[in-house]
Amino acid sequence: MPPLIEAKDVSKKYGAHLALDRANFCVEAGRIVGLIGPNGAGKTTALRAILGLADYEGELIVLGRNPFRERTALMRDACFIADVAVLPSWLRVDQAIDFVAGVHPRFRRDRALNLLAKTQITGKRRMRELSKGMKTQVHLALTMAIDAKLLVLDEPTLGLDILARRAFYDALVNDYMDETRTILITTHQVEEVENLLTDVLFIDKGRIVLDSSLEDIATRYAAVTVTADRVDAARAERPIFERRMLGKVVFYFEQPDFTKLAPLGELHTPSVSDLFVAKLSGGAE
Amino acid sequence: MNDYRWLVRREFWENRAIWMIPVGVGAFLILAALFGRIDMMSISSQVPSRAVGEVFLIAVGATFFAVMSIYSTWYLLDCLYADRRDRSILFWKSLPISDATTVLSKLATAVIVIPLVYFAAADLATLLMAFIISVRAHAAIGAALWHADLWLQLQALWLYLIATSAIWYLPMAGYLLVISALAKRAVMLWSILPPVALMLVERWFFGTHVIAHYFVVRLIGLAQVAFHSDTGSGFWVTTMVDNGTVRTPASIWSLIDAVGFVSSPATWIGAAVGAALVACAIQLRMRRTEI
Repeated sequence: MPPLIEAKDVSKKYGAHLALDRANFCVEAGRIVGLIGPNGAGKTTALRAILGLADYEGELIVLGRNPFRERTALMRDACFIADVAVLPSWLRVDQAIDFVAGVHPRFRRDRALNLLAKTQITGKRRMRELSKGMKTQVHLALTMAIDAKLLVLDEPTLGLDILARRAFYDALVNDYMDETRTILITTHQVEEVENLLTDVLFIDKGRIVLDSSLEDIATRYAAVTVTADRVDAARAERPIFERRMLGKVVFYFEQPDFTKLAPLGELHTPSVSDLFVAKLSGGAE
Repeated sequence: MNDYRWLVRREFWENRAIWMIPVGVGAFLILAALFGRIDMMSISSQVPSRAVGEVFLIAVGATFFAVMSIYSTWYLLDCLYADRRDRSILFWKSLPISDATTVLSKLATAVIVIPLVYFAAADLATLLMAFIISVRAHAAIGAALWHADLWLQLQALWLYLIATSAIWYLPMAGYLLVISALAKRAVMLWSILPPVALMLVERWFFGTHVIAHYFVVRLIGLAQVAFHSDTGSGFWVTTMVDNGTVRTPASIWSLIDAVGFVSSPATWIGAAVGAALVACAIQLRMRRTEI
């Protein structure tokens, strides 16, 4: 089965600024992929290209289609929430449901109504009257009622409080995700999503710096917590990054030789957020 | 077609002014008929009743048409820009509707749907006003307002005007859509600035005013292309009203020059330019999601 998203040397320039620099990556079906990078790294640019919202150079295939030229057809199988609070202020909740039901062949009205019934939101409310969290609930209900193969979320919880954020991810994992679906999610708050991801894509300065499943991270990367007396020995193994913590030092290794690292100290698999910090600040060391 | 139906419905949700303004204009005119002074009309009971009816019907219709032209212009200028301003474009684009369909639905709303709404409102207001004036005013005036053939002819005239305007003003509509899809802010300013700048540059460097000339021709030329202005004696009827005169066409049918409109190259050159500009607006809608 071909990958759901396949990018080969995808570039995007805004004037002189190279927002995407020959990015290569694949997203397989049935995964939850986190596209993770610092602000201005090219996350949104990459998503815009995948969703057909912007033109680009290079070769990009999403669900077997060219997203820019075939956006309309693509949107029957893919859906996205590109940001919170993009539902227009004049739109009423029942109008939003009617409209999407009217134009989207895969929208299931009963499902959207069921999801909204769990909230305090009534059909006659206009978006301008709803809080940011409520708007997100409406948008998520609309989106999750679509039988799509690919769901793309761009900073979906930006500006939401912790309760709304937790509710958002719970709904996503419990009510939406199954093996027929794929989710691509961008965020700069790695901690928030690391428990639900199956794959990560790290992006920095327009380049993909890591494309890995979480299982592979355990074999490709290692972290060792070392006491002060073994720091030199650890440095000799060429760590990609080191971090001081309470008198000890944590070293991060790529393609580790576990037999050499184990005697140095406490060996563990780095978390996604640690790995993110290691990969992105590593170059400066 | 299904998508267009939903998209036009959406325009009514978003722009309630589409029906609120004509309802407001109608309400104002009806109030004027209810409480206004009608002596102006009662003094001229000697005027042939048909001319009074004609003047009345055309005046009411023209009022609606003038307001509609201003509103449609503003609507076209705002419609694509508004989606970018509130970022709702990111929601609309997440649905399987092409940008061409979206832009064309907005164009159709501006040049067909909105005029038809005003047409219906004008008809309704005219009927109510004629009824009110008939009750209030001199019997001769009242009778003057009810000529079935005149009503019918005017319906045809307004529909003809809507159809020809839709084609004739296509370059203007296309231009406004381009600005609406392109401008970062101040769409009104951006719509005026480029043509004015071009006119000034042309004047300074070449001393000519070709652009200004074509602009004016497009703005007011419809009257020349789509209507007979004078076909000799018997075309106009001159009526004495107190110390002045009123000139009304002998028959409204004779005003309509459909053959002249269809056979005028200006009509189709304009339509082609308009179509090119609309295509340009669609391309911009595909590429510009940011403000």
